[in-house]
Amino acid sequence: MGIRFRSVSFSYPGFGKGFYEALRNITLNIATTGEFIALVGQTGSGKSTLAQHMNALVFPTSGSVEIFGKTITPKRDKKIKYNDLRRKVGLVFQFPEYQLFEETVEKDIMFGPLNFKIPEEKAREMAKTALQLVGLGPQYLTRNPLNLSGGEKKRVSIAGILAMNPDMLVLDEPTSGLDPYGKKAMMDLFRSIRERTDKTIIVITHDMDLVYEYMDRVLVLDNGALVFDGEPDRLFRQTDLENLHLDHPATIKVLRTVSEQLGIALDVYQKDVVGAVRELRKAVRP
Amino acid sequence: MKNIVIGQYLPGTGFFYRLDPRTKIIAVIFLMVAVFLLDTILQVSIAFVAAIVFMILGNISVRRVANGLKPLFVLLIFTFVFQIFFNRAGTLLWQDDLVFSLASISAVVAWTILWRLATRFRRFRGILFILWVAGVYLALAYLPYGPAFAPVSFEIYQKGVEMSVFVVIRLMIVIALSTILTLTTKPTDLTQGLESLMRPLKKIGINSDDFALIISISLRYIPTILDEANKIMLAQASRGADFNEGKLLAKVKQIISLLIPMFIIAFKRSEDLADAMESRNFVPGKPRTRIHELAYGGADLITAVFTVVVFAGAIILKVLP
Amino acid sequence: MVVISLSYLEIRQLCFSYNSKRMVLKNIDLGVKKGEWIAILGHNGSGKSTLAKTIVGLLRPQSGSVTIDGIELTDATAYEVRKKVGIVFQNPDNQFVGVTVRDDIAFGMENLQVPRAEMEEKIQFYAKKVDMLPFLDKEPSALSGGQKQRIAIAGILAMKTELLLFDEATSMLDPSSRRELMSYIKELHREGLTIIMITHDIEEALWADRMIVLKDGAVFADDTAENLFRKPEAFREAYLELPTALQIYYELEQTGDMTPPLAETLWALGSGR
Repeated sequence: MGIRFRSVSFSYPGFGKGFYEALRNITLNIATTGEFIALVGQTGSGKSTLAQHMNALVFPTSGSVEIFGKTITPKRDKKIKYNDLRRKVGLVFQFPEYQLFEETVEKDIMFGPLNFKIPEEKAREMAKTALQLVGLGPQYLTRNPLNLSGGEKKRVSIAGILAMNPDMLVLDEPTSGLDPYGKKAMMDLFRSIRERTDKTIIVITHDMDLVYEYMDRVLVLDNGALVFDGEPDRLFRQTDLENLHLDHPATIKVLRTVSEQLGIALDVYQKDVVGAVRELRKAVRP
Repeated sequence: MKNIVIGQYLPGTGFFYRLDPRTKIIAVIFLMVAVFLLDTILQVSIAFVAAIVFMILGNISVRRVANGLKPLFVLLIFTFVFQIFFNRAGTLLWQDDLVFSLASISAVVAWTILWRLATRFRRFRGILFILWVAGVYLALAYLPYGPAFAPVSFEIYQKGVEMSVFVVIRLMIVIALSTILTLTTKPTDLTQGLESLMRPLKKIGINSDDFALIISISLRYIPTILDEANKIMLAQASRGADFNEGKLLAKVKQIISLLIPMFIIAFKRSEDLADAMESRNFVPGKPRTRIHELAYGGADLITAVFTVVVFAGAIILKVLP
Repeated sequence: MVVISLSYLEIRQLCFSYNSKRMVLKNIDLGVKKGEWIAILGHNGSGKSTLAKTIVGLLRPQSGSVTIDGIELTDATAYEVRKKVGIVFQNPDNQFVGVTVRDDIAFGMENLQVPRAEMEEKIQFYAKKVDMLPFLDKEPSALSGGQKQRIAIAGILAMKTELLLFDEATSMLDPSSRRELMSYIKELHREGLTIIMITHDIEEALWADRMIVLKDGAVFADDTAENLFRKPEAFREAYLELPTALQIYYELEQTGDMTPPLAETLWALGSGR
């Protein structure tokens, strides 16, 4: 099960007479459970388009996407209920403003479940649970989503998708615009979801520090092609990251500079500050 | 990436592109009035041919203008048919008895089904429509078999045909004139032209100065808004909003889930934009210089003279016995 | 009223609130010399954007004053003062007024009734400065966020602005566009422009000569990066995070494993030297 991309390409009419190729020949497998994947790449590399294929919002121009057993091809298949797939794979967009519209947070979170024909009382319960999951108390239920702060809006929009109880979660830049404490809170949220349910979570992000510290697997897109699929550690050991328009995580950069300037050997590949400190202590003690 | 041609403007060179938008606006208005003053098919046909000649001289693709007529094709057909049916003057040209009988009605039904099936071939829609009309007519006229209603007399009179031809040609000229205007004038130039022409309105208290700016800002945001609408639909579709199926009540909810975010984003945008404009010293109503200046040239003089001559000519033709 | 001061921008006892319930800015005192680069940092809700808007006169404070190049900012002087200050906002799309790049750069000058020939000259000059000359006839929908921000800068410079304010102007850009925009800003600073950058990105703030930290609407700290970093608890109190190198620095100090060369390297890295 899970999601399988088989030679998927996607293009749409661009300026003039040409076609713009957003995705080129992508083949990749994503398991239903257990994975914590980062999807990275420059703006325009096709990340959002790839994500939109994962819940059948968009059909490939060639190739096929298998989502939980259903195969999505360029042609619309009358037998497949595409809407069901959107329940199974929850996609949270980058800007909560595209999603929030109801008068109360409760109603807005209930929108998803209600669309999937879940009875109102059950939907209300699910909304309450989802709100709790994102770290907001029940007093938020009656508030107007539009009066919330940026970080709170982001969390409400995530709750709106969690309430649908998807089997897999895909989030487009959930930490952008958040201050460092907000980012940490978001990553803790994902950690708690994985601990409770082991669902696969895919995160589109630019933040290499987060990728290195938290994710098990990273997919790198460059100009629509999948140029890397593996562990973040392996990715960051490559020195030509500039070609992929990626940055090294801060810990690696700091340790590398220290190693060069002080002439000491260091394993620069540390995922977080704790690891970096540990490595430096080892190097300092004879 | 958006590839939207706003209005119908197509960049190009030629006489019409060199004209000041104000000249074009005024000329089009006066020429349209002149065309409506014409009386006979002969006059209108001459005007039609002249229009085509000018388009060719001015380097405008006649085919593009013809495409501009396509959306109004139905209107033209309707006008044509209307005149034919209801104008009963002059000599009788054609008479037929149309019978709604068992045979003819069944034939019409069968023919209509065939027609609907054939409309899959979008290309031939126009021809198929004409074939359908012909088929219906033939069935009603030549299959009076079986139980039937009393025959209906279908008549075409000479004046009817004349008037329909006259009206259709006149309509085509008018549409062609406005298409030439939008084809050769950038929307922003058009609004700036209108703004300039509206200046006299200041005397009666209507401030037209910011008009061009308001319109140009609205135009500039069209691709942005369309893009956002698309993203919002995708975001709500991710929560199960189905914009296609559903009962009326559900559909209303889906539309609200699209409209409210759009409105909110639009409000935020106007606030931000107002801040940006104000911080760049924009003061509503205060005179501003323009990077694009409108200036009359030789071509405008020629056009003005031509328009005056044609307009005067039309009046004279109308007034003379 | 002319205020005698060494500062180009002088803010005295500024207080602002949107409704009368909550004070968003509390007795702000701030001075910026000509040619300085100031970073204003603060948590979400600390009043950074509100402060930016009062500096360009988009918001009128309930009490206190803003003085730019000796002219106190009031309703009457706003037009004059705005000729000297320009602000680049966060959303690249929502500040792009023109139908094309050329029209947008011209917008400010049109408002100042600059004659057409002069406008053309300036457009060429400033578009070239931000490397957007080939794009003059392009529409905004064909541009990236970073490009739009550069055009915003060009439009402001064309108005002969001396003080440039950036209100989280990079937060909606991806990392490489961010770096690109920063390089243009550094160039402008080298040429003598006064820069005020409002940001929550500590790495960007390191380029400034001085950092001002806002907390809950008041000035919490106003000092060079070096001095501020010597008080890490203060940073945490203001809900800000130290650069990674300094986080490592302070951890090592605590465990007692620091050596002088290590300290020096880490400190230099962290404070952006």
